[in-house]
Amino acid sequence: MNIRRLAALAALMLAATGSAWADEVTTLLKAADKYRMSSDNMQVDTQISVFNTDGSPDKERRYTVFAQQKHQSLVLMQSPAEKGQKVLMLGDDFWLLMPSSQRPLRITPMQKLLGDASTGDIATMSWADDYSGAITGEELCGEPTQKCVHLSLTAARKGVTYQRIELWIGKTKNEPVKADLYVQSDKLAKQARFVMDKPAAPTAVTEMLLRDQLTNKKETQVRYLNRKEKTVPEAWLNPMFLARNPSLD
Amino acid sequence: MARSRLAALGAALVAIGTNAHAAEPEFSGQIRTWWMDQRASANGPLAQADALAPGLVALPRSNGTLEAEVRASGHGITAVGTLHGEHDEGGSTSSYGTFNELYASRDAWGWAFSAGKKIVSWDVGYGFRPNDFVEQEPRRTLLATTPEGRAVLTAEHFSASTAWTFVLVNPTQSRDALGPDEPALAARMYQRDGALDWHGFARWGVRTRASLGGAVAWVASESVELHASARLLTRADTLAIDPGLAAGALAVTNPWQAASVSHPVQALVGGTWTNEAQLSVLVEAWWDGTALSDRQWDDWALRNQALGRIALAPPPSLPPQAIAGNIAMQATAFTASTNLRRANLYARASWQVDKWQPVIDMLYTPADRGRIVTASLSWQGDRVRIDAGLRVYGGPSDALLAQVPTRRIAYIAGTWPF
Repeated sequence: MNIRRLAALAALMLAATGSAWADEVTTLLKAADKYRMSSDNMQVDTQISVFNTDGSPDKERRYTVFAQQKHQSLVLMQSPAEKGQKVLMLGDDFWLLMPSSQRPLRITPMQKLLGDASTGDIATMSWADDYSGAITGEELCGEPTQKCVHLSLTAARKGVTYQRIELWIGKTKNEPVKADLYVQSDKLAKQARFVMDKPAAPTAVTEMLLRDQLTNKKETQVRYLNRKEKTVPEAWLNPMFLARNPSLD
Repeated sequence: MARSRLAALGAALVAIGTNAHAAEPEFSGQIRTWWMDQRASANGPLAQADALAPGLVALPRSNGTLEAEVRASGHGITAVGTLHGEHDEGGSTSSYGTFNELYASRDAWGWAFSAGKKIVSWDVGYGFRPNDFVEQEPRRTLLATTPEGRAVLTAEHFSASTAWTFVLVNPTQSRDALGPDEPALAARMYQRDGALDWHGFARWGVRTRASLGGAVAWVASESVELHASARLLTRADTLAIDPGLAAGALAVTNPWQAASVSHPVQALVGGTWTNEAQLSVLVEAWWDGTALSDRQWDDWALRNQALGRIALAPPPSLPPQAIAGNIAMQATAFTASTNLRRANLYARASWQVDKWQPVIDMLYTPADRGRIVTASLSWQGDRVRIDAGLRVYGGPSDALLAQVPTRRIAYIAGTWPF
């Protein structure tokens, strides 16, 4: 009887501890998310610069991202080579829209991954709602080095770009410092570093530097040029509406 | 009268749209140049006609093209215009300018209205789209080009996960207009349902009457997308040879005339698989009941053989041009439908490697083992894009795809967007 009680108590304590850890991870992720998404509904203008392995510039792209609550994002390609293209992400569902066609193309999560900075990298700016995990420990990380909390995260829903993330955040301010991003097959796809506006007292991520580990080893600089709160009309998140090539500015 | 009504409605929409859309005008476009090196087939009716009477028929020629496309939108007006100049190896030069799209849009009472020349493309699928019955966009083109829109009046309603579209197509065309030019009323319903996109289609043509269709696209897993489309038609425009003409009889005018096929079915199934290494494979199979039947093609082959026998031993009074002309007119059958054979298989593999994208695809017609194989390579720079490729038509000598006028096309194109 006593043994049974002890076992039940141990199980309860384990469950409570697990739940507490989960709550703590969620709290830490929400704090880290605030450095990229200060509101649930935002418009973010982004510039992508890709550099060759020798550091020479390769290409540059501009995007406007409407990141909305409930995992809804719309990415507008703004550079001449891609002008008029759009990617719509509604939870786990994705569409590609081309300017010369009035037909949205349904794409798989794997197709969303294509490119030096995938649309998932550009449009996804939060972890708290998409990942669960555990605190692995405290380590030194970043440049200059600082005390960081190391989190091991696993996708909580199927439509996310990366299945697993090893994330390091600052121990004091909880700002994101670096991340290893793993795809479905558990291969390391990219390594990310985050550049803050004010290193001593960070308020926002100004740049994300991605090093491709899967194919070409190129470095991609994702610069957040402008952020503002914006809630888009419901119809903007309908692929058939977007296929009409409406003005969305 | 109908044309003036459309113009008046368009003008009204423009007037309203001018007040309604305050967004800044947007301009973009591209300049593209390409060279297409074409080789005519040594097999098939046009090749036979040319051998019998050289110069009687126009065979495929290599050509160079320079094209500028400009897109502009603002104040409720959207315009896409193209300037096209072409020079072929025979020395002739031609040029033209056209509006691919020019329409006015206006939102009112929760609906979006448009009037003018507009591209309205529908359906799922890559190699063939049974329900793309408004635009009827050419498929499997060598270079992605903007098609020329059709005269339409559209009314559309959107919610978060549904869309309704009603289109009056070609309202200014005559009731006798054929194929894509036929005046018609078309409708589409769209419903998003998680990983599934459902589409319902209906069309009423003034001559070809009703048709109904449906399509679905389903993202089945991380890497697999499946799609299907089907359409049932009351009637469809096609071509048929004069039934009173004997296989070996010579005709004075083209015996291939407009005809219709009753209750045809069009259907497509397909899927795409993409992996982490950015390799993508598309496979599709489709049935096009509006294409000429196997029996019609058998009769076509019999007539070709009969005309060939006459060409070998022509009556003294018959000029070779008369026989050659009859043989050449047999090539008209290639234009009866968008597909030559009713049953078709298609596969396409592409691989995105940094700035490069190699692609290989094949269209295969099981009825006669005909095939079109295309291999291409694209390079996308920061701004400039280069495309090059080779398309070869082939199969056994009696396969239709081995008898079309073109044997192979090699091309290179450069695109500069602005």
